[in-house]
Amino acid sequence: MARLDIVQLTKQFGGVTAVDAAQFTVNDNEFMCILGPSGCGKSTLLRMVAGFEAPTSGDIRIDGETIAALPANKRPTAMVFQKYTLWPHMTVYDNIAFGLGLRRLSRSVIEQKVKEALELVSLSGYEARYPAQLSGGQQQRVALARAIVLEPKILLLDEPFSSLDAILRVRLREELKRIQRRLKITAIFVTHDQEEALSLADRIAVMSGGRIEQLDAPSTIYSTPSTLFVADFIGTMNLLQATAAGGELRVGDYRLPAPAGLKEGQVTVAIRPEDVVLGGEGTGWRGTVDQVMDLGHYRKIIAQIPGVGDVKIYLSKMPDVSEGAPITLNPQRWLVYQPDAALPLEYRRAGAVEAAV
Amino acid sequence: MTTAQPTLASDFWSRTRHSFLATVKRDGFGWLALVVLAMVILGPLYSVVLWAFAERWQYPSLVPTQFGLSFWEKTFSRADIAEALPFSIVLSLTVTALSALICLPASYAFARMRFRGRQVLLLSFLATNAFPRFGLYVSIAVIFFRLNLIGTVPGVILIQLVNTLLLMIWIPTSAFQGVDRSLEEAALDVGASPLRVFIQITLPMVMPALSAALLLTFVNTFYEAQGALLVGLPRVVTMPVLMYSLINSQLVVQYGAIISFVLWMPSLLLLLVAQRLLRGGYLTAGFGV
Repeated sequence: MARLDIVQLTKQFGGVTAVDAAQFTVNDNEFMCILGPSGCGKSTLLRMVAGFEAPTSGDIRIDGETIAALPANKRPTAMVFQKYTLWPHMTVYDNIAFGLGLRRLSRSVIEQKVKEALELVSLSGYEARYPAQLSGGQQQRVALARAIVLEPKILLLDEPFSSLDAILRVRLREELKRIQRRLKITAIFVTHDQEEALSLADRIAVMSGGRIEQLDAPSTIYSTPSTLFVADFIGTMNLLQATAAGGELRVGDYRLPAPAGLKEGQVTVAIRPEDVVLGGEGTGWRGTVDQVMDLGHYRKIIAQIPGVGDVKIYLSKMPDVSEGAPITLNPQRWLVYQPDAALPLEYRRAGAVEAAV
Repeated sequence: MTTAQPTLASDFWSRTRHSFLATVKRDGFGWLALVVLAMVILGPLYSVVLWAFAERWQYPSLVPTQFGLSFWEKTFSRADIAEALPFSIVLSLTVTALSALICLPASYAFARMRFRGRQVLLLSFLATNAFPRFGLYVSIAVIFFRLNLIGTVPGVILIQLVNTLLLMIWIPTSAFQGVDRSLEEAALDVGASPLRVFIQITLPMVMPALSAALLLTFVNTFYEAQGALLVGLPRVVTMPVLMYSLINSQLVVQYGAIISFVLWMPSLLLLLVAQRLLRGGYLTAGFGV
């Protein structure tokens, strides 16, 4: 229903920068996830959009108009909180109707809207219950209904499912996605759970230390993380120390082709466990099997490669490998991260290489 | 039928006695505690109530030797009591209202704001209760004497206000602290103004604690005698002060008993009202009781 522009948004608490010049756009109907470890500034960013924190500098615009100066109660946003925030002295009906009542709608309109909202979150018939009579999952569904019943331009969700158990979390995630698609609502969802972000989002902004490290579609974030932090944070990644020299990467005693234009020096090579195959005599990495874990639909192997380190491998089908047996690996795809002058402590992706098959 | 009746009844009694004995055996300490508590709490009340309706009560008898209402007539025909009772009620209401006016905003500030000296200030309210009250009153009385507040209603109101500060600051402060901020944020978020958030979200949630604080403050003030005695006399006479002087000057137990009985009534009524308010519907349901 609306487009959100975050412009050079910065928040400092005392001397600490919680959000550092965040800049991005959430498009109409888009579901954006902000993903990062706790303390990375993602909640602060969301709270600035909601109006609970005043930005130190920068701007927030909805459909091109700034809302940075508006107090929280005048903003066309609605939030679902991490904690259970239903008002305990009001029924489910009154909780949802509260915001509508403030908009001076007629009683019959309010009744109709509350009914529809409850239908949307599959809680019809719960109008007269008090929050204490609901389970955690039901409370968060009512909180979602309370937010969407106001037809906000931007729906903000601050880890709404993090206090629920794993099964319920997945079910509510699917429900949320369905509701967002149906209402065509622009949404920002803050989470530290990458699985949640990968499954929900149209685009993910990965945050660390107050900065947005990467903003891309989930598949892009997974396949080509743009910084070493993202590579490490998202999914499982083998991070191996290497030296770039003469168009080659030296990983221990082994060589890998380097991406074009790579500067010489220390680099980190990142390889997804599923991008490693067994075999490949001659150039293959030789080592021993340290651990085999059967995870049902695939197996995870940790191999010890002398001079390289531990390498994790995912294989869906494989010959039986026993722990302690010799193994030969062949990386199929790797990413190379190199220090960046603009990011003194961070490695930025210098390139990706696919092995010629 | 006719023969079955007594059997059933005796059955009932034997079963009742049996289950009662079983309960006592199973939960002996609880029953002992109940009996002791009942004696400690109800014993004095029993004596006061009986004395209030006694004409004569001589020592070995467990109940008054003669009941009657003649002392009630004597008590209420006294001009000083007819004057002091309504005055005491109005005074206590005034002190409670003033205390609320001063303390409730302060306790909200204590709960919600972080300012320098917050902790020290909060503890300082304990100070009035940490020392013998009478010493404090005497030194205050010296100041009041210079300010010509001795023997005046404002003087009594002021000294009684001092008494109420601890309760009216501490209970509401912890109540306001108990309201999760995100509940207020959620109300702001759906468009309520800060004032409306306070009235419709925060206030209802702290109401049980606030009414308890108000009730206790009223009752404490209504019974407060030391400060009122020291600052009020001779011109301002509250009920408890009057009771003191009546008991001291003429040793008629019935006067004291009747006045205590009458003094209970306002607090008893308030207690019943408050209990209804706290029990009734939304508050308790809201807190999941």
